[in-house]
Amino acid sequence: MNNGQMIITIGEGTCGIAAGAKEVAKLLEQRFPNATFKTVGCLGMCHREVMVEIQNEDGKTFLYGNVDKKNLPKIVHFHRGEGSPPEKLLIRSSDAPDTDSGRYLTGQTRIALRNVGQLNPTSMEQFQARGGYQAIEKILRSGITPEQVIEEVKASGLRGRGGAGFPTAVKWGFARNAPGEIKYLVCNGDEGDPGAFMDRSLLEGDPHSVLEGMLIAAYAIGASRGYAYIRAEYPLAVEYFGLAIQQARQAGYLGERILGTDFSFDLKIKEGAGAFVCGEETALLASIEGQRGMPRIRPPFPAIKGVFGKPTIINNVETLSNIPWIINNGGQTYANIGTHDSKGTKVFALAGAIARGGLVEVPMGTTIRHVLEVIGGGSASGRPLKAVQLGGPSGGCIPEHLFDTPIEYHAINATGAIMGSGGMVVTDSKSCMVDLARYFLEFTQLESCGKCTFCRIGTLRMKEILTKICAGEAVLADIDTLEELASQIGPASLCGLGQTAPNPVLTTLKYFRHEYLAHVTEKRCPGGICKGLITHTIQNETCTGCSLCKRQCPVEAISGTIKKPDTWVIDQKVCINCGMCVEVCNPDAILVV
Amino acid sequence: MSEHSLEAIVDADLVTQWISQIGSEPSAAVPLLQAIQNKYGYLPRKAMDLIIANSAINGSQLYGVATFYAQFRLKPVGRHMIKVCHGTACHVQGADRINTSLRHILGMKDENEDTASNASYTVENVACIGCCSLAPVMLVDGEAFPKLKGADAQRHLKKHARDHNEILPGHQEDDKETASGASS
Repeated sequence: MNNGQMIITIGEGTCGIAAGAKEVAKLLEQRFPNATFKTVGCLGMCHREVMVEIQNEDGKTFLYGNVDKKNLPKIVHFHRGEGSPPEKLLIRSSDAPDTDSGRYLTGQTRIALRNVGQLNPTSMEQFQARGGYQAIEKILRSGITPEQVIEEVKASGLRGRGGAGFPTAVKWGFARNAPGEIKYLVCNGDEGDPGAFMDRSLLEGDPHSVLEGMLIAAYAIGASRGYAYIRAEYPLAVEYFGLAIQQARQAGYLGERILGTDFSFDLKIKEGAGAFVCGEETALLASIEGQRGMPRIRPPFPAIKGVFGKPTIINNVETLSNIPWIINNGGQTYANIGTHDSKGTKVFALAGAIARGGLVEVPMGTTIRHVLEVIGGGSASGRPLKAVQLGGPSGGCIPEHLFDTPIEYHAINATGAIMGSGGMVVTDSKSCMVDLARYFLEFTQLESCGKCTFCRIGTLRMKEILTKICAGEAVLADIDTLEELASQIGPASLCGLGQTAPNPVLTTLKYFRHEYLAHVTEKRCPGGICKGLITHTIQNETCTGCSLCKRQCPVEAISGTIKKPDTWVIDQKVCINCGMCVEVCNPDAILVV
Repeated sequence: MSEHSLEAIVDADLVTQWISQIGSEPSAAVPLLQAIQNKYGYLPRKAMDLIIANSAINGSQLYGVATFYAQFRLKPVGRHMIKVCHGTACHVQGADRINTSLRHILGMKDENEDTASNASYTVENVACIGCCSLAPVMLVDGEAFPKLKGADAQRHLKKHARDHNEILPGHQEDDKETASGASS
């Protein structure tokens, strides 16, 4: 593998680029002009971006994180043969493979993410060198029938990873048996859940696996046309997936009579335009047809009557990327991973108050605590963790005392949350669960398409009440109204958006009712977040009189004389409690109560 | 400031060219609007009229679609676009403060205002851009700035403004004093 040359690999996913990967790459190229440079997708350790792996001439490898232009000289120094590797930056090396921060990667089982971060997403050769397109080759060359493909997927027990968890093979069976000459396969990459980025990483880190999954799905259901519906907010994903389509078309994996068989399939990318509701199947189809993305009554299900009235299957990105692995390794092998209720693995986007955030793929049945503590490294701030929000605006909060819940559909549903598409946002003690519920209701209210009255008006009323609670203006009866609305909006809504919109409120009321009560009866925000219920004051004994806070204050509420700590005060009548002063205060002299 | 000064001058040939490239059937509505907005930053009235006149898409569908999706805007924009991410991770880590600090330095006092009075910058809130582990994040003309505090957002914007010869209406020149204050 190594012939005495230095190989430098840099992660250039959206996260990496945002953290400055391009600049680091340029500097490394100047320092090591003779090295071979490789670009890969996101390795999923987003908290350590920019990430660089250097393989020395002797074959030893070193993986670094948090690389920037300031600390880069330390790395350069070491790889020129001087000193030892910079410990703070080193995640792991071939000499010391098992480090605490390296456990982020070793604690995972990567199936859907098998290639992400391992190959250059713009190189079809690298994909093929890792076994890419072997599954579709195997199917077409050895004459495996569509029914046999569906059987294999059925044996895997794979359920849709977009959130609803419907068995993939059953869905495929519906479309396979639906009458009609022309059928469509749609890849749903409209990852709208705030706090979720699994599909983004897959589309931009390993686009060909998703495409191969689409080919296999299309073959199984008998589809000849397809769409990849990708959020416009993911420009890199759109670019790389578009490139993958071109490459596959040139190589004969897309188009008429693929590999000389009767199977023909081609597809187009449709960029989403920013509507959360388009994650819902029938709304997504309306959007592809150029209409407002509004859901419709089912039945007829899309598998019978979908885009342009033709039988259509819509599969999520992560679901599709599992498919080639299942064909190559057998459905039973996949089913051996996980629990009785939930098979295989699930990818989560871990973010929030966690030490090590990023993409995490674990076997079903792993406990939430394992993900947060062993892989995620626990709290980032050192403050105790309070809850985890699973499933975004459709999901719910799971409190710390239930962190031993295994990640499987049944057990997660029993808590009141849902598995969802994989967003996992962690909060610590300095967070307000009422504010979080308000945030989600504001989101769903804005994103409600307006078709169903309960969803359109009900979510607005819920948001109004939550805003009142956060402002300290609510009475106890408001909580009753909130609960009543929450119980009615779900059953009276047509699609998943409205059906699940009350979940964040229901779960926070269930587990954090005391926080609601503190807001209403004591006019106090226990997390110190809600602006209407907190005050900012300067503690003059710790203040140094540097005036930084004054400069940051957008409303000129702070006054005092430079270097005279005793003189500094915040005018409470003017202060809007925005918290800008707290962020800049070096001696931590501003008290928030 | 009059909105008029921000109105884009629409190239009619370009719009008809998009129609012939992308399509004139109803299903082309979203990509056509995306092409217009990519070019002009918003959907100018004249471009909309041209689509309606030269395709099978009628006004009700086109405006229906344009007002349904969050991506589209009918109001003109400033010369540079700032997008502040308001995904869950950014929200719980203080995305609000980025808005407060940007609006302050851009001199935007009116809550309904999203473009600075000198048409330099527009500040837009966007749903999750999927860099949650780098929260809170903003994009300035597509370039992402990660792990921001309110003051960082101002610092990046000041640099951007210097590099692009823009004036920030709410910015008072007292940087030197701040720097010495920070080190004390």
